[in-house]
Amino acid sequence: MERFFDGMREGKLMASRCPGCGRVFLPPRMVCERCLTRAEDWVELPLTGSVETFTEAHVRLAPDGTLEDLEDPELIAMVRHDGADTCVAARLDAPQAAVGMRVEAVLDPGAENVLDLLSCYRAAE
Amino acid sequence: MDKEVAIIAYAQTPYEADANASREMQVLQVAKAALEAAGLKRDELDTVITANNDYLDGRTISNMRLVEPSGAWRKNESKVEMDGAYAVLYALMRILSGDHGIAMVVGESQASVYAGYVPGTMMLDPTFDRQRGLLNEVSAAALQARAYMHASGVTEEQIAGVAAKNLGNAAKNPLALRSDAGADAAKVLASRMLYSPIRELMTSALCDGACAIILASGKAATKAEKPVWIKGVGFSHDSYLTERSLSRLTSLKDAASRCYSMAGIENPASQIDLAEVHECFAHEELMAYEALGFCPEGEGGAFFDSGATRIDGSLPVNASGGAMCANVVCAAGMARIIEASMQIRGEAGERQVEGVKTALAHGQTGICAQENIVFVLGGE
Repeated sequence: MERFFDGMREGKLMASRCPGCGRVFLPPRMVCERCLTRAEDWVELPLTGSVETFTEAHVRLAPDGTLEDLEDPELIAMVRHDGADTCVAARLDAPQAAVGMRVEAVLDPGAENVLDLLSCYRAAE
Repeated sequence: MDKEVAIIAYAQTPYEADANASREMQVLQVAKAALEAAGLKRDELDTVITANNDYLDGRTISNMRLVEPSGAWRKNESKVEMDGAYAVLYALMRILSGDHGIAMVVGESQASVYAGYVPGTMMLDPTFDRQRGLLNEVSAAALQARAYMHASGVTEEQIAGVAAKNLGNAAKNPLALRSDAGADAAKVLASRMLYSPIRELMTSALCDGACAIILASGKAATKAEKPVWIKGVGFSHDSYLTERSLSRLTSLKDAASRCYSMAGIENPASQIDLAEVHECFAHEELMAYEALGFCPEGEGGAFFDSGATRIDGSLPVNASGGAMCANVVCAAGMARIIEASMQIRGEAGERQVEGVKTALAHGQTGICAQENIVFVLGGE
């Protein structure tokens, strides 16, 4: 994950790739379950991808385990980057979503917390 | 499998939002009831398997205080930290090893003591998904529901219809926590929106409760009154949720195919008389119709609309009300096995379906049904 986070600091999206079958993991994974081998190759992926699936969140998980209402609903999407075989789950900053919608990642290389480096997705131009 | 191992007795507690009993007392209640139903004493048990979960129980080695109430003291005891249907599988394997004749399986959960959907986030990838706070069991299920709707052309009305069917069936199940004889799709669609398309009444009912099942081989099985024979079992484990297609329950399809091959099922829709499916969310029941081969892939919605899975249909699914009426996490698959067994034995009271000879029971574990297990059970 360090390489993934370091890459985003430089504005790049780094994915791991299985040397056996070429399966590309984003976020990166260390093991390819199909080849039973280390996914130790690295590739840079474009920021663009497609929405595999999405949901409009009207609630969020509260610390007590209940679902509390959000003031404004927000979109959560699973995005498959071009060239990737797996998906990233992130917030989608768009008025509406659709399966197959073209999107691009919005990176914030200066973010203090590495978890905020990939801030959201927005509609691709 | 041909009459090798049978379910000879079982017991369930009522499913409650906040039971006036500790988990130990609930397990004691079902273990004693199952032994009594089997006409057995604790001394006659060879092995005991428990199903419970450290992170739900809030303690480690969560079976340690279940040794006493499950009848396991100084016996060959072990635990699975998964759905209880896997504990039944474990017991079945122990009996098939030839080293054990009679097995007790217990599973329990007390949702009243854990923080709802918080423990489920421990199943998420710890380096990214868990910390970013967007995914939980419900939002992940919503992503799964949308992917499935897109792939199979299923509507929100059909998903709501499943919830309404199960809540209606639950009105005839005296153990149910949640039921509604008058439920219809419109009522489900009017319930609170959580994560689209999932609304409050499309989620399963987390609850307190316990189940016990006694399995036996040999004389103990053949001499039992109305043994329910395990004819086949299959199980499969898929990738983490962001690394597989959420639009299909592929591991359930694998599990069913392995189970059917063991049980000699070639045409599930005609050879299976009734199914109890573990639907954590209503749409998963429609996905299961396809994965279990009850209808062709992509036709789950149409199969539901045909009425086949209603309690008066050709292949009733969740006549008990399923997990919509009570999702006793860690024992939910056991509840499915017990309900299927009750139907085979003709013990299901007002929800009894006529002529059930072969029944299917399903269990699942993990976010978006990552792991699935299928049993086919049969009577004499």
